[in-house]
Amino acid sequence: MIDLRPVLFVNGLLLLVLAVAMLFPALAEGLAREAGASAFLLAAAITAFFGLALALGTAQPGRFQLTARQSFLLTVLSWVSTAGFAALPFLLACPGLVFTDAIFEAVSGLTTTGATVMVGLDHAPRGLLLWRALLNWLGGAGIIVMAVAILPALRIGGMQVFRMESSDKTERVGPRILQISSSVVLVYAVFTTLTALAFWMAGMGRFEAICHALSTISTGGFSTSDQRLARWDAAVQWVAVVAMLVGGSSLILWTGAGRAARAGLFKDAQIRWYLWFISVFSGVLALWQWAVNDMAPDAALRHATFSVTSIVSTTGYASTDWGAWGGFAHVVFFILLFIGGCTGSAAGGIKILRWDLLFALAGAHVGRLLHPHRVTVIRYNADTVAPSVLESVLGFVVLYFLVFAVFALALTTVGVDFITALSGSAAALANAGPGIGEVIGPMGSYRSLPDAAKWVLAGEMMIGRLELFIVAVLFSRSYWRQ
Amino acid sequence: MIDVRPVLRLAGLLLCALAGAMLLPAGLDWHDSHPEARVFVVSAGVTLLVGLALALGMNGLRTEWTLRQISLAVVAGWVVPLPFAALPFLFGALTLSPADALFEAASGLTTSGATVIAGLEHLPRGLLLWRALLNWLGGLGVIAMALAVLPALAVGGMQMFRVELPGSPERAMARGRRIAAAVCATYAGLTLGLAFALWRAGFSGFDALAHALATLSAGGFSTADGSIGQFHNPVAESLLIGGMVASGLPFLLYYRLARGEGRALLADSQIGWYLSLLGLSGLGMAAWLWISLDQAPVEAIRQGAFTVASVMTGTGFFLAPYAAWGGLPAAILFFLAFVGGCAGSASGGLKVFRLQCLFTAALIQVRRLLRPHSVQIVTFDRRPIAEEVLESVLGFLFVYALVFALLAMALGFLGLDFVSAVGGSAAALANLGPGIGGNYAALPDAAKGLLAIGMVLGRVEIFPVLVLFIPTFWRE
Repeated sequence: MIDLRPVLFVNGLLLLVLAVAMLFPALAEGLAREAGASAFLLAAAITAFFGLALALGTAQPGRFQLTARQSFLLTVLSWVSTAGFAALPFLLACPGLVFTDAIFEAVSGLTTTGATVMVGLDHAPRGLLLWRALLNWLGGAGIIVMAVAILPALRIGGMQVFRMESSDKTERVGPRILQISSSVVLVYAVFTTLTALAFWMAGMGRFEAICHALSTISTGGFSTSDQRLARWDAAVQWVAVVAMLVGGSSLILWTGAGRAARAGLFKDAQIRWYLWFISVFSGVLALWQWAVNDMAPDAALRHATFSVTSIVSTTGYASTDWGAWGGFAHVVFFILLFIGGCTGSAAGGIKILRWDLLFALAGAHVGRLLHPHRVTVIRYNADTVAPSVLESVLGFVVLYFLVFAVFALALTTVGVDFITALSGSAAALANAGPGIGEVIGPMGSYRSLPDAAKWVLAGEMMIGRLELFIVAVLFSRSYWRQ
Repeated sequence: MIDVRPVLRLAGLLLCALAGAMLLPAGLDWHDSHPEARVFVVSAGVTLLVGLALALGMNGLRTEWTLRQISLAVVAGWVVPLPFAALPFLFGALTLSPADALFEAASGLTTSGATVIAGLEHLPRGLLLWRALLNWLGGLGVIAMALAVLPALAVGGMQMFRVELPGSPERAMARGRRIAAAVCATYAGLTLGLAFALWRAGFSGFDALAHALATLSAGGFSTADGSIGQFHNPVAESLLIGGMVASGLPFLLYYRLARGEGRALLADSQIGWYLSLLGLSGLGMAAWLWISLDQAPVEAIRQGAFTVASVMTGTGFFLAPYAAWGGLPAAILFFLAFVGGCAGSASGGLKVFRLQCLFTAALIQVRRLLRPHSVQIVTFDRRPIAEEVLESVLGFLFVYALVFALLAMALGFLGLDFVSAVGGSAAALANLGPGIGGNYAALPDAAKGLLAIGMVLGRVEIFPVLVLFIPTFWRE
């Protein structure tokens, strides 16, 4: 059996962090003299109790270390348990919300998906709005730490490209976690502050600016209005576009760890593909809106850029209801749901890096048709990519489409229609948020779906967030054998 | 420059065969004393003229085929006959527009079965026979290509299916000929057998033959607008299910079975996967029809099995407009359209063996996460797969997905709604035929052209076309 104590210990610590975070909405409620403060305090107390019990009960003397197996279990357990406790404030402060909805909202928040079951956000208590934004932000921070520190060490889906030289020798996920992740989280916090300032200067209220900043850089997508970003004017929307772009880029490139790379931020293969991709699709959609749907040129460009950035960075905001743009837009957005942002960000999806490698692989195959004995070397940022990396990318992509298909089928089984199931499954797996169709479109809500569908979607968001393999490993027999 | 003479010669020979095939509907129309016969005779004459000119004019020295010539021949072999196959549609009783005629011919020859013609019941029988014959000839071409050409080109992992011919070149040649003859004979024999069975089940002789021609080739052209559903013949429906399942099996299997290698059936894991996927989806579909749509259990099973077999093998027959069945059937059919049948069959799609390889590779990745330094080997039928095969399969999957996405976007751009664009793109690439919509007549001409291109791309497994666009292909 695996030694569970370190796993539970870290879990306890994370719950304590969550409890502390719950104090902020309590404070917001208190300042606004609204009644919800006590609910948040109660939730914080419960969470803190369990967190302390876990942390103190399993604390061990000596140097703290995790094996690979423990890291797998830790990542899964910590996401699931924090999501459970994060649902507490929804249950306590929001009497209208049933258990399934509360869990769905919490999972959607923590996995930075941004799919919501709540309506009437414009009149919701501030504490609740802040809590949703905070969930996005905390989830985003967790993902970035995971993407920078844990996934490369565990060799998930080609992420070993980002392994640090020094950690190459050992199987253990060591103290470098702290060093790298703290600098990335610092960058993350700085960008959030800057975004909040920019939103405020662009004309948002202070509270809305903070909430939106929290859920933009984390590519979450919870808004404080039912109309999403359509409630604000063009300046705010352009700020959001830039913030989403930053949120979906590799944050590690902005830190000290990548200081050499920062000078060449635009030379990074992934960033270049990312920007190139977003601009091409924004351009095409803007042309479509202008030429076919008679939108004014500036509005067409703004809405197209906004929507494409929102989907590719898997944020999920909407500046307008692109559900009304017609079949072409639907197909484009459906396909964009599979792209995803850069690795090393809070964005979900298959991610640009993997598409880049796949593209190179397909090119090599075409070349080999002509010259069967040719040896092709695939490079990423001038480094040769080892075959084992390509194989894990392959495994990831295959598993991704498999999970997408299985969950789409599961959704239709519980009575969801074809378009909603297909796009909902893609959106949940990529942690994007809105799907396509009447129900869950960019301005829609997941509220009317059957309860079973909400559980399926929540599970899929988790699986997508944990990059599939971390969950898949737990289901393999050899994991539990000594 | 590559030597294109052998390629043109082959195209010429194919045209001669096509001209020969046109005489059959001509004969039928002449027998029915329908004036349409003249159209077929003239079309056959034109086709034969061009074919002979190409075949005789390019009758150069016999040389070994190079890989480039094979790629070019694959593409030319599918594209050159298209306009000639469209002649009877263009000048016949229908007088279709050029775009429609080409679409119908492409859909027939690639064994897709998507149609732009309404009122099939009132057409002269010659034209109906011609459509079925196009399916059948296309199916023959597909099987020949899957057995001999794609493995040689190593398209998307097909190199695993190279037929090993031991012995001296002469003996290998002789054995290769024997296999080819045996496969053709099986194909023809199965078609005739199915036609006979359908006739005994109550179809008219003509309907039985036409449907048998379109079934074994996984084509899907019917002689009625309502497809098989219009005949209300449960026995025939069950027979057709068998025929469609057979069309998705590797045809080499029948050769092996005939030689008494009965264990070949069990040794080929592809077949197991194919049949279990088919059974599982059929059951899911039947359960939905029974529970959600209140059909009688026997009816639900027959309808479910028929539709699943039709879509998975890329045939495209239908009993009822299944678009109205709701979410689960639509999703099952959508995903099955990507799966397709076995390698070496007449069916389209990604093919079962590719998914099998990819699935095994993904599982091995999961295992490797726990033991990063263990050596894990991906196997197929208990034989290890070379790394480059796996990469080819993945490359194929990627390009297939890319073409699907581009085609769907282009269709959306032409004004199709989401379901039609996505379903139509998937159906064209998988050579399935009717997408989740129905008749293709109402589409804009540009969309028909794109779909026809998609069908040809899907049929030749994309890569032979892609290499033509590499500049070095044309250089020495």
